[in-house]
Amino acid sequence: MEAAIGFPIRAPGNMTATAMPATSLDTTPDTAMVDAARAGDGEAFGHLYASYARMVHGILMARVPPDEVDDLMQDVFLAAFRKVHTLRDAAAFGPWLAMITRNRANDFHRHKPEMAELTEDIVAADRTEAEATAILALIQTLPDAYRETLVLRLVEGMTGPEIAERTGLTAASVRVNLHRGMKQLREKLGGRHE
Amino acid sequence: MSDAYLWDRSGEPDPEIQRLEDALGPLRAPQPPPEWRPQPKVHAIPVRGAWDARWRGAMAAGIALVLGASWLVSRPMGMGWKVARVEGAPFVGSRPIRTTGRLGVGEVLVTDGGSRAKLDVGEIGEVELEPNSRLRLVRAHRSDHRLALDHGILHAMIWAPPRLFSVETPAAVAVDFGCDYTLKVEDSGTTTLHVTMGWVGFEQDGHESWVPAGAECIRGAGKQPGTPYFVDASDAFRASLARLDFERDPTALDTVLALARPRDALTLWHLLPKTGGAAQGRVYERLAELRPQPAGVTRAGALSGDRQMLERWWDVLGYGDSSFWRIWKGPSPFAAK
Repeated sequence: MEAAIGFPIRAPGNMTATAMPATSLDTTPDTAMVDAARAGDGEAFGHLYASYARMVHGILMARVPPDEVDDLMQDVFLAAFRKVHTLRDAAAFGPWLAMITRNRANDFHRHKPEMAELTEDIVAADRTEAEATAILALIQTLPDAYRETLVLRLVEGMTGPEIAERTGLTAASVRVNLHRGMKQLREKLGGRHE
Repeated sequence: MSDAYLWDRSGEPDPEIQRLEDALGPLRAPQPPPEWRPQPKVHAIPVRGAWDARWRGAMAAGIALVLGASWLVSRPMGMGWKVARVEGAPFVGSRPIRTTGRLGVGEVLVTDGGSRAKLDVGEIGEVELEPNSRLRLVRAHRSDHRLALDHGILHAMIWAPPRLFSVETPAAVAVDFGCDYTLKVEDSGTTTLHVTMGWVGFEQDGHESWVPAGAECIRGAGKQPGTPYFVDASDAFRASLARLDFERDPTALDTVLALARPRDALTLWHLLPKTGGAAQGRVYERLAELRPQPAGVTRAGALSGDRQMLERWWDVLGYGDSSFWRIWKGPSPFAAK
């Protein structure tokens, strides 16, 4: 079922307020916030930012070096803030923001600056962070959809239903991507399952 | 083992997944995320874990801005700026821009009724020029990116530290503080600044207005300084303000004061040093009613144009700390008093 690796966008109409995850930071439906943001309401955009920060952070973390994520995240939300008035379907905000994020990550790789190599001393200076970075590097070798879904789940702590609701992927696709991505990650980690 | 834990953390926890969650925890986005502030991007030297610092506190912002400025001024600049045709047939001088071209210092970019163009502002932003516009590149220095809009409309999106980018118009100079804004210069010379994001200073002859996102400021053809206002103010409020600014109709002040909302403290704060006599006292009273003055601000001080007091008052209006406007230099809105 490799087809699930793509990004099948769920029909926006399926996104309803009742589908909001329990951990959402605001109970106001996103569509109302998007409508307000499109009308220039900065506070409404702030609510959207709070709701989607983890998704944007995770998508970037799946694609770029961790040290670059914060800067790129700011770029993504600035671009979204600037262009939100062009979004025709308020219910498609999540997939639209995810697309902006992926494009920004791609732009980064097209224009990325030369990176200095880390010495072992620097790496060893923070073993906890070094371990996290090493595991992330393994995840980043997985196919796009697997690594993005896995990072949203394992790094950002989002559940499968939340990932589907935020990114616009179908729940079935997220589930398959998580399953297959985790299987490949276990193999790379020399895991003992499956 | 079932996928239930992987899917939604239900069912029996998977020890390996738990170990991965723990190990990857340091990379997680801060929870809750920092407050959203549509601040412009500054080119600070990336510092691991600097998330909070960048989003909080004027001190950190100031450091980042200084670092960003240092970084920018140390970078070489090419010859002129890249121009791209958006539609129609824009010209640089007599050269038509079919796809892309360059605009050199002293050259003019012109669009007719059916053309539009986009201009890269060095590496710090971009400008889009609407039809029937004329734009000159005045300066392309690393520390001073300056355009002149003779007429027409431009949209600017700048992510540099404050004051590195400015646009001259016949009526005033728009000084960028990192933002997204539109400038419109009519054939009469009347200039309108509309700020979508961030902040812009609008300066002329030592008089500066501070215009935050959501607000506009108009300068008359004769360079009469208009007073900033939020575009969602009522039509009556805006019309009265225009009569006050450009027709010197003192009766218009009654309507402005009566219709002012707390948010319109922006307008009243700018009016305070522009008015005099009894009218100034009335502006003071209404401003204090809408946004009470903080400790240390006295009526006598505010009416005399005491800069420190007025800036302290500005700081409680909710449009950003006045120190932000002071990071580099520049006259205050009360400088002309």
